[in-house]
Amino acid sequence: MSTVMKTTRDVKGIGLSIPRPDGPEKVTGQVQYVADLNPRGLLHAKLLRSPYAHARIVRIDVSRARALPGVRAVLTAADIPELKRKAPTRAHAVLAIDRVVFAGQPVAAVAADEPAIAEEALDLIDVRYEVLAVSADPLEAMKPGAPPVADAGTEADTSEAQAHGSVAGVTTEAKPAKAVNISQQARIQRGDVAKGFAESDVVIEKTYRVPMVHQGYLEPHAVLAQWDTTGFLTLWSSTQGSFNTRSEVADVLELSENRIKVIPMECGGGFGGKIRALCEPITAILARATGRPVRYVMTRREELEAGMPAPQVIIRLKTGVKRDGTLVALEGEAILESGAFSGAVLAVSGVFLASLYLWPSFDVKGFEVLTHKPSIAAYRAPVAPQTIFAIDSQMEQLAKAIGVDPVEFRLRHLQREGDKMANGQPWLSNGGVEVLTRLAEHPLWKKRAEWKASSPKGRLRGTGLSLGGWLGGLQPTGATVRLNPDGSLQVLTGQVDIAGTNIALAQIAATAYGIDIDKVRITTGDTDVAPMTGLSAGSKTIYTVGVAVMEAARDARNQTLEIAAKELEASVHDLEIDNEKVVVRGVPDKGITLAQIGKKGNLYMSKVQPVLGVSHPAFSQQAPAFCAQLAKIEVDPETGEVTLHDFVVVQDVGKAINPLAIEGQMQGGAVQSLGMALTEALTYDDQGRLTNPSLLDYRKLTSADLPNIETIIVEKPSPHGPFGARGVGEPPIVPAPAAIANAIEDATGVRLTHLPLSPERIALAIASAT
Amino acid sequence: MRRFELILPESVDDCVRALAQRGPETKLLAGGTDLLPQLKNGLLKPARVIDLSGVARLRAIEPADGRGLRIGAAVTARTLELDKSVRARYLSLAESGALVGSVQVRNLATLGGNLCNAAPSADMAPPLLALDAEAVITGPKGERRVPIAAFFTGVRRTVLAPDELLLELVVPTPAPHSGGHYLRHTPRRELDIAVVGVASQLTLANGVCTKARIALAAVAPVPVRATAAEQALEGQPVTPDRIARAADLAVEVARPISDQRGSVEFRRHLVRVLTRRTLITALARASA
Amino acid sequence: MAKPVLSCTVNDEPVEVLVQPWDTLLDALRERMGLTGAKEGCGTGDCGACTVHLDGKPIASCLLLAMQARGHAVRTIEGLGRPGALHPLQDAFVRHGVPQCGFCIPGVLMAAAALLTENPHPTEEEIRYGIAGNLCRCTGYTKMLAAITETAGAAAGRRS
Repeated sequence: MSTVMKTTRDVKGIGLSIPRPDGPEKVTGQVQYVADLNPRGLLHAKLLRSPYAHARIVRIDVSRARALPGVRAVLTAADIPELKRKAPTRAHAVLAIDRVVFAGQPVAAVAADEPAIAEEALDLIDVRYEVLAVSADPLEAMKPGAPPVADAGTEADTSEAQAHGSVAGVTTEAKPAKAVNISQQARIQRGDVAKGFAESDVVIEKTYRVPMVHQGYLEPHAVLAQWDTTGFLTLWSSTQGSFNTRSEVADVLELSENRIKVIPMECGGGFGGKIRALCEPITAILARATGRPVRYVMTRREELEAGMPAPQVIIRLKTGVKRDGTLVALEGEAILESGAFSGAVLAVSGVFLASLYLWPSFDVKGFEVLTHKPSIAAYRAPVAPQTIFAIDSQMEQLAKAIGVDPVEFRLRHLQREGDKMANGQPWLSNGGVEVLTRLAEHPLWKKRAEWKASSPKGRLRGTGLSLGGWLGGLQPTGATVRLNPDGSLQVLTGQVDIAGTNIALAQIAATAYGIDIDKVRITTGDTDVAPMTGLSAGSKTIYTVGVAVMEAARDARNQTLEIAAKELEASVHDLEIDNEKVVVRGVPDKGITLAQIGKKGNLYMSKVQPVLGVSHPAFSQQAPAFCAQLAKIEVDPETGEVTLHDFVVVQDVGKAINPLAIEGQMQGGAVQSLGMALTEALTYDDQGRLTNPSLLDYRKLTSADLPNIETIIVEKPSPHGPFGARGVGEPPIVPAPAAIANAIEDATGVRLTHLPLSPERIALAIASAT
Repeated sequence: MRRFELILPESVDDCVRALAQRGPETKLLAGGTDLLPQLKNGLLKPARVIDLSGVARLRAIEPADGRGLRIGAAVTARTLELDKSVRARYLSLAESGALVGSVQVRNLATLGGNLCNAAPSADMAPPLLALDAEAVITGPKGERRVPIAAFFTGVRRTVLAPDELLLELVVPTPAPHSGGHYLRHTPRRELDIAVVGVASQLTLANGVCTKARIALAAVAPVPVRATAAEQALEGQPVTPDRIARAADLAVEVARPISDQRGSVEFRRHLVRVLTRRTLITALARASA
Repeated sequence: MAKPVLSCTVNDEPVEVLVQPWDTLLDALRERMGLTGAKEGCGTGDCGACTVHLDGKPIASCLLLAMQARGHAVRTIEGLGRPGALHPLQDAFVRHGVPQCGFCIPGVLMAAAALLTENPHPTEEEIRYGIAGNLCRCTGYTKMLAAITETAGAAAGRRS
């Protein structure tokens, strides 16, 4: 049987469920990831990492390691002159200079002929540490006098946070003196909350807690580095952003960006954990020191101990309503634990807490707190799942307290397009109402009373839902579209394809140009050849790169028609492209094939230009995208085990370019969300050491833990997305924790506010309630 | 993984000889599902590894001269899960094998490895305790037998001397009207490790319980039998009240610790729940 | 110490290859034999990305020393099918849009192929447990179930 790729004359591409073209390569194991590269002379890198979360490095002796046969380089910070005295970002902290600030921080690096030799070399490196007091808990770390994390005067890297913050329009406050570990602080206010609470009939105050979680990509960070004899560096990297990696490496190594080429290999999952450079600098330095290609692949243990996880989020939320269902006041405090370097998107939390529903008065404070733990990066809709867990759980409890339908309650207060967000900006068009309404029509929601009543002996059944979303991302980008001499189309972007976006981009190009999808080839270029582009993150690839490809394809189409117009001595307006030919409308014999046009642009002595469509747009408006999820569960009250019988995901995608790929995103995001809800947590002891550095104890959900994830696509077109499309990747990770907590309360009467909702928490809560 | 010398014996005698010449830091390797992660984490750094996969005798399952069943130490968890002779009379043992890891792990993990690694959570230990199994050990001085209850001496410690090899387990035939069940609690349905594991085995005669065995995993440094709970059941019919009482008594035997897999409180709670549930199923199976 | 020679069958071909004593089967396949389809996701048997067949049974190749495969038959994803001659499972995975990042896919296919050989008409629950040793972070498993179910021609029963 061969792979069926649907093509028709009538529908060029948009809306078709076309399997990814790299499917056959992936199912046969042919696709290459970094660890599959094995150039001649390859050396293997290993890093020695600090066992302590906070310590002074007194002495490092690498002499025994250097003497081990097969070892080609052993480096410490002393061997790397470019290292900045105070590392402004995690990427700059290539090797610790005189202080370690998280357990797992690299202190030495080895390159050897074989991985086993490199590991033995690590054993031979002697490090003497002076252990220092640790800030392991963010609530303690916030206090004046807590053990300091950042070097005094270090400029914390708030670039990403500020980027999100500026989009969200949140003001930053000066931090109080002496609270040395508060690296960002913000506050948004409206009205008088004290007065509001005084006027409320029902006030609910709860604290919600979501631990640090790992993005969980199956392929660990990996990079291969090689220098040529002119000092030009090539990096093959597992990354979500080759241009960003190039910039970071250039900054760390004090190289010009055009002396570095980053080749993005197939990325075995990123989800925000691979948006920043991490292993590239040290691997490049080892390659430079040895003059050989060096490959570094993180072990799973290293990923869990020293990756770039999602922050711990603690949200205290106090809300007041009137008995008639009027919302009155919201007061909140969100604490985001960022680890050893700043980087949390503080503003997002504030905006979602106070802006999803219309609160006449609110006062929300946000704090980013540094601790002696590995610093965070993003994780698919950063901070949104944690924030929605808090606000949606709270809305559910408020509805219950005053006896109103939970869906009606949310719909009544959900902010609509044009309403002012917490930051003063208007809500843009979105499908929040549509997705929640659609979910409420689902039979599983309508029949929830029957499900509950059908609980067998010794089991408790329940149903819960929740609404969340993502504001959408923006980043400038570019694309080119070339007409080949045989009439086929070649699309080039720099966008790493982690979500199946390439096939959607090909569909967009095919439709915009006027050609069948199987004539379109899309290529992801490296940083030398591709137009600049941003991260494959933020739910913006189709929204931004899709526009670039669409406009470049239209540009190419216009050029094609101009050339044809001259050849056919016709007006451009009378021409159309049909069946790989430009014809005069109504005169099918009068035409010129795309191949002829393509050839003319490439022949020796030809006076016809080659067709090269170009677009390099920037964007000013995001496209928010909403997702509502429903969980139908059964709880074993004695063991606390939750069985998921059904799970439904309803999502507004604006315009479904490729429904098959979109379903995959919805299902995958939902299962990540369920993992956060039910089983996942990076757990640290009071000395800041990770106690579960393996996939045995860092629990991701298996297929046996899950039902089929039902997906329902809603389309409320965005004003600026290509064909109305919105970003798809992030919304589905947002709602599940709240949906599960709501379902557990429905089934058992118990309200849990601390993730994960483990069997232990559920069983003990039920036991103490009875 | 660090470097080591690899020995490939082809018989039990080869193994015993290799162990006798062991020098320091020698480890035996069967399925590798516990040993290899420990090597990779640097918890163990042996200079020599002896691979048992070439010793066919260790994978045999045979009747033990009418007294029961002999199960070779290198029989895999997957084999235990599926083998008809194991399932016919020692269902709780098959159940414990079926719960280990995943199918990819069960095809490698061995009964002997599970016991010799001697983690407090070893799944196959409670059923063997409840079935009064015996470990057959061999060494330079020949064979000896140790009741499984005496096999474990501490966390990751057994009675095996450094020059000894676990050969097989002999599990006696249960009397007629016997039934057993093994249950454990894990946060996930697969790829997980017991927070608490309980095996119950009951024998009935004329409506009266003539023998009761209840064994617990992950609630003490070694797998333990809840003997007071057993005695509370023996000599009488098994009723729901007596099952509940036995479950309470089983809790008293448990001395769990709080770790990231479970708190003391939750583990004690689970002992009660799982003891009750396994006794109910054991009773149903014994009565069938 | 001299490197031992691993003699076994890989994808129906006899193989003799020099390995290190401490090589796992996964190491030997990837680094000594150029068969990079099997992946290392964790190295400790907790993710299934390294799944290959040993005498037809699915195993975690990161937990087996290469020399433990001596005299045995190994099958990797490269021996399941090839572009142009895909195994029915591979074809179904492509048409159902299963692969996203692709890293888990070889392991899942090997587990699923072993399942269907042993149990040609599995229930939904049996399929879920058959691939429960394979973690996937991208797909949520639903399309894998559909593809495997279709290939088995089984009526996917509801979980009981």
